[in-house]
Amino acid sequence: MPDHRILNSTDHRDLRILTEATSELGDGVMACLTVPSEFRSVQSCFPIVFRRDIESQAFSALALFGFTNGENLFLKDGRWDAPYKPLAQAIQPFLVGRPGAGEGQGQVHIDLEHPRVSTSGEGMRVFDEDGQATPYLEKIAEQLGALDAGYRASGDFFAALARHELLEPFRVDVPLVDGSKNSLVGFHIIDENKLQALGAQELGELHAAGHLMPIFMAVASLSHLSDLVARKNAKVSLG
Amino acid sequence: MTGTIGKVVILGGGTAGWLSACYLAARRPWLDITLVEAPDIPTIGVGEGTWPTMRGTLAAIGIAEAEFFAECDASFKQGSRFDGWATGEAGDSYLHPFTTPPRGEAEDLIAAWRSAAPDLSFAEAMTPQARICAADLAPRQRAMPDFAAASNYAYHLDAGKFGALLARHATGRLGVRRIAAHVNGVIGAPSGDLSAVQTREGETIEGDLFIDCTGRAGVLIGGHCGVEWIDRSDVSFNDCALAVQVPTLPGSAIASQTVGTAHEAGWIWDIALPQRRGIGCVYSSRFMDDARAEEILRSYIGKHMPHAAWNKLSPRKIAFSTGHRARFWHRNCIAIGLSAGFIEPLEASAIVLIELSLKALAENFPASRETMDIHAHRFNELFRYRWDRIIDFLKLHYVLSAREEPYWQAQRDPATIPPRLAEQLTLWREQPPSNWDFPQVDEVFSAASQQYVLYGIGFPAPAKLPAAPSAKALAQIAEVREQARALVSALPTNRAYLDNLAAATQSPALKETTA
Repeated sequence: MPDHRILNSTDHRDLRILTEATSELGDGVMACLTVPSEFRSVQSCFPIVFRRDIESQAFSALALFGFTNGENLFLKDGRWDAPYKPLAQAIQPFLVGRPGAGEGQGQVHIDLEHPRVSTSGEGMRVFDEDGQATPYLEKIAEQLGALDAGYRASGDFFAALARHELLEPFRVDVPLVDGSKNSLVGFHIIDENKLQALGAQELGELHAAGHLMPIFMAVASLSHLSDLVARKNAKVSLG
Repeated sequence: MTGTIGKVVILGGGTAGWLSACYLAARRPWLDITLVEAPDIPTIGVGEGTWPTMRGTLAAIGIAEAEFFAECDASFKQGSRFDGWATGEAGDSYLHPFTTPPRGEAEDLIAAWRSAAPDLSFAEAMTPQARICAADLAPRQRAMPDFAAASNYAYHLDAGKFGALLARHATGRLGVRRIAAHVNGVIGAPSGDLSAVQTREGETIEGDLFIDCTGRAGVLIGGHCGVEWIDRSDVSFNDCALAVQVPTLPGSAIASQTVGTAHEAGWIWDIALPQRRGIGCVYSSRFMDDARAEEILRSYIGKHMPHAAWNKLSPRKIAFSTGHRARFWHRNCIAIGLSAGFIEPLEASAIVLIELSLKALAENFPASRETMDIHAHRFNELFRYRWDRIIDFLKLHYVLSAREEPYWQAQRDPATIPPRLAEQLTLWREQPPSNWDFPQVDEVFSAASQQYVLYGIGFPAPAKLPAAPSAKALAQIAEVREQARALVSALPTNRAYLDNLAAATQSPALKETTA
């Protein structure tokens, strides 16, 4: 059961957070949420795909780490084996909270039941002995702010994709070296044909709204699918 | 005689003997190495502090850090702190950390320190390690690879257990032969070389090269070869120590550095291991009797470890002579450890000298008898230089004091100060210690160490500093502050690190192989 609290230097003066990358600490996931403002960084390492929520029918973007539930091919010896860790993974066990009705200035919240909350005396301190934020917390706060702002801005982006019908369902079958096959289904990607067919005025509008760059970043990111297959094959070969 | 050098005989166990066996076996694996030690002679625990070189030494001989910690009750050592050395007044304390100041012109950095961080001590301004030490933090996180560091470190260890680990490693994994016997005779060849040692049990052990690790006795280097002992007690006065082990309370903080607290006629070492603290009163018998030394030790323990019951402790007196051999390598016999020399335990020079001797020997190992005298001559020159520099550096700690007791006044008597040190002190009024003063590769105590002691104890900065520090130096000083903030928030306490490591470490396989 998550136990969300507002982070404060009185109750959490001695709090330490484990920052290694392992399944036990919550990194054993095949994908995590990303936001258009982060696509530029995410596309340097991971495929970006889209998923429609069955109930709300709303789209969200995901950075892909593996092919099956719980599989993260970027974990290696307790390290995150890529130059970039997407914000939604990096900020754990912290989250953005808002007082009352959900409006107003965001606050740093923490899930005290998260496995990253250390009980061993090891890990990153959040506050120093004087109750000042540590450089680690400063970084987390910055990442939380970026993720929150990106998330709030993403509605417009997905509305634009819907308006131009730029998302198409996507399926990829991944033959592995051991003869087995993995399939990736249920995701969407940018429809390149429709993107190519857009006229100058439509492109101009997308560009003016700041959506064009993330669209192309998402297109470019798919080249990492082959890297993901290679990682999977390496793992299969090792048994 | 131009025979090849294949058989090495080490006389004496202990840290020096077993470290020699491990190091030579690991780095020169074709050697046939035999170590002869008496089964019943207790070894002297020479200091329990190492230099950062020990990480490289352990890696070279193939002992994993986790095993070392588990077997030796070891802790991290990130430097030495000197309390009461300047004046003896409250708050008189400085740190000699292992991490060097930022790269750059020392004068420029000192100017930046004086202008941008006058509130900080020299060590605090120059390295984040000062704050790490002040908070009793470990120099690394457990997730880092073995021997990697966020700040430079060495170890505190239980010397008896370390010797035992090295012995098991040498015999169980590195193929060293151990003979438990009493040596009572040495057989010389007509050339003057040693050819064998004989044991009381009737065995004759032949060798091409003999390493004397028999401690102060110097059975081979002194007893047989007659190499003279040079007394240095004219410079270094301390000749006694009263040592005691005090158990610690579970969960108590483990200090990150050796603490040396000055007293009226010497100083007290305080070395924190996970389960106990090794505390010892070092003194000069010319200035203090044993009863007074015991009083001082007892009062220190009463103040710093009030839970300890004095009547349950058993202090042990160690008398030592201060000096070294005139030569350390004579014909085919080389002295390593206390047989080569000893200067008081300040700054833990004993084990590092063993390591430096072994590195020099292993990297210049004579393949034949023909080259041995060339190597011996070079070795003797190098180590005579090193002993002299150690003596100078230890003396530096005393001559800068303003304490008024007779012992401290005598330490400042110009007649007791080696000429080279006196010269340097004159130079250092105008310019900071630099590589011009310490030009050798692998200086035991670098210019950085000299700076930490000098500016730590309050020696004035050079009279003519640059008018304004460079932007680069100012940025470096600011960077140290930022690094300190980041590291202090990222590193666990020594206690948390070592307790978690102990809980995670399985009983090593080594125990099974030698049980």
